[in-house]
Amino acid sequence: MNLYEIVFYFFAIVTVGSAAVVVFSRNIIYSAFSLLFTFFGVAGLYVLLNADFLAVTQLLIYVGGILVLLLFGVMLTSNTISVELKTGTLHILPATILVALLVGLLTATFWTADWFMSKRASDIAAQTTSKEIGDALVTTHLLPFEIASIILLVAIVGAAMMARRENPKSQIPI
Amino acid sequence: MPEIILNNLNFILPELVLTATVLVIIVAYLTNRKDETIVYYLSLVGLVITLYALTGKVGENLSAFDGMLSIDPFSLFFKIVIVFSTIVVVIMSQHSDEVKSEKNLQGEYYFLVLSMAIGMMFMVGASNLLMMYLALEFSSLTSYVASGFTRKAKDSSEASLKYLLYGAFSSGVMLYGISILYGLTGTLSIAGINQVLMQGSVNSLALLISSLFILVGFAYKISAVPFHYWTPDVYEGAPITITAFLSVASKAAGFAMMMRAFKVMFVDSSLVTLPVGAWGFVNGIHLQQVLIVLSVLTMTLGNLVALWQDNLKRMLAYSSIAQAGYMLLGVLVLGNDGTAAVMIYFVVYLFMNLGAFYVVMLFANKIGSEHIDSYKGLGRKSPLLSVALAVFLISLTGLPPTAGFVGKWMIFLSLINAKMIGVAVIGVINSVISLYYYVRVIRNMFLRDEERMSDETFKFPLAQQILLVSLLIPTLYFGLFFNELVEFAQFSVTMFGVK
Repeated sequence: MNLYEIVFYFFAIVTVGSAAVVVFSRNIIYSAFSLLFTFFGVAGLYVLLNADFLAVTQLLIYVGGILVLLLFGVMLTSNTISVELKTGTLHILPATILVALLVGLLTATFWTADWFMSKRASDIAAQTTSKEIGDALVTTHLLPFEIASIILLVAIVGAAMMARRENPKSQIPI
Repeated sequence: MPEIILNNLNFILPELVLTATVLVIIVAYLTNRKDETIVYYLSLVGLVITLYALTGKVGENLSAFDGMLSIDPFSLFFKIVIVFSTIVVVIMSQHSDEVKSEKNLQGEYYFLVLSMAIGMMFMVGASNLLMMYLALEFSSLTSYVASGFTRKAKDSSEASLKYLLYGAFSSGVMLYGISILYGLTGTLSIAGINQVLMQGSVNSLALLISSLFILVGFAYKISAVPFHYWTPDVYEGAPITITAFLSVASKAAGFAMMMRAFKVMFVDSSLVTLPVGAWGFVNGIHLQQVLIVLSVLTMTLGNLVALWQDNLKRMLAYSSIAQAGYMLLGVLVLGNDGTAAVMIYFVVYLFMNLGAFYVVMLFANKIGSEHIDSYKGLGRKSPLLSVALAVFLISLTGLPPTAGFVGKWMIFLSLINAKMIGVAVIGVINSVISLYYYVRVIRNMFLRDEERMSDETFKFPLAQQILLVSLLIPTLYFGLFFNELVEFAQFSVTMFGVK
């Protein structure tokens, strides 16, 4: 096992292990904090894949933004810290069969498929990707990039609309 | 480079017009909040200009933005269906007490409806998996918000949340399928994927898994069983205008995207033994069997559950699930005439389904209820509306001389041509079942009297009558004179990059 593999398995175990805590923990604070390690592990995997830009974005947006927001949300909402989450399991038998089938099929897929290997894999190993991503965003991927901005606008308006609804007295124009 | 971008912008002129309208609406609404109708007129003007811009695209068959979008007769056809139904829904909204009661949310409302339309227009043209996913999320995100629009109704926010959870799950599965497909082929362009698949070196199990996962995303969008769980609750909880919009335009966009993905991505064009216009899939794709199962389940479940519904809005929700099943019949033929049949069905469905929802909305404005018992004796109180609803329901069943008959006829014809008699028989049996619950409403309107007899009659303003009649006339017209519609649909099956 070389160093690369050791680092990979370290990050993989961190990601999967903390994700399991997120799902199985009955305390929402534990869940929220272990999500931090999940995001961190994924960022590490991106680094290993030479996706430097993606790794930094992952840290900035997920760890820095979304997770902090989530923690604030949990902490500012009264009664969430002490309350035990009500989790139940329904339809155990069909769910087990379905999940087993899915896991089996996916595992078989990943073992047997010959994945597409980029011919340039060795070339780009030492390069930074930010410049290429920047180029692509204003040339080949211009349209998706611009559409993402419209989606963002719509999401902001939608969020503002949904947030305003709770208080019927707030009829003052913004 | 700038010239290329400018040139490409010209290809998406209708979408740009609609986007500009959306921005104008927000600005106009923020600067002038006193007059709520201004956003309505702005939306209408924007939509009509969009429709006009679309007519300038007739006959274009090209690829824009580095293969991200296809501007072809196929997408044009669906864009016209989407924009036209948006116009109807916008006018409907102006007549809806439910929507108008939210006085200080009018700007947001029209903003959302038009944004949904933009997302759908990108869906029908998308020819790159990234673009498809973005467009799907675009129209879904706006739909989540719009279905939770009425703040008074408690089930409205429940509907919105349910929609969001199911949507997030399905699009997650779809994204996983896309990532597997990308891992296999190294490209996201659907034409590029087809080229790699044609070389035959891709593992068939992996291909099967990824195609099934991608199908989950489409099946959710068109609310096919077993991915339909959100549909009844969302359709019942959302404002009725949004329900009507989702059941027609959103479904049309989902079908268009699905048919394009299948045809461009998975069809093996080197197969020459097949009849003209039939699609033979590359090795490892077994979508036909899956589609047959989906379609039969969707029709049967939609119709059987609809039998027990007493709320008309919920009944129409299940009926629209069943209608999606009939349309899937046209897709599973896997051929150009099946595609044309689906397209014809959508034009017909646009008029009859929007019409049915419109009548239910107008009655709800007057009697404040959508329960089937409150329809007793309405035939006497408002003959025009009752007759119109009867025609729409008969058309939804698929009986002559209405347009619904032509739509179903074309679909069953394409099935029979493809020698799939068994599936066609199931479809016909389902139509017979659906007759029962549609006729129940008609019987209540004309043959049952309400408990307390009253001589009051309902008066509806002229504008509402005009919209109603303009939905009613095509429902009857296309039942008799359908040649041009059929020809236009057959002309419009052409997709960019495939024969």
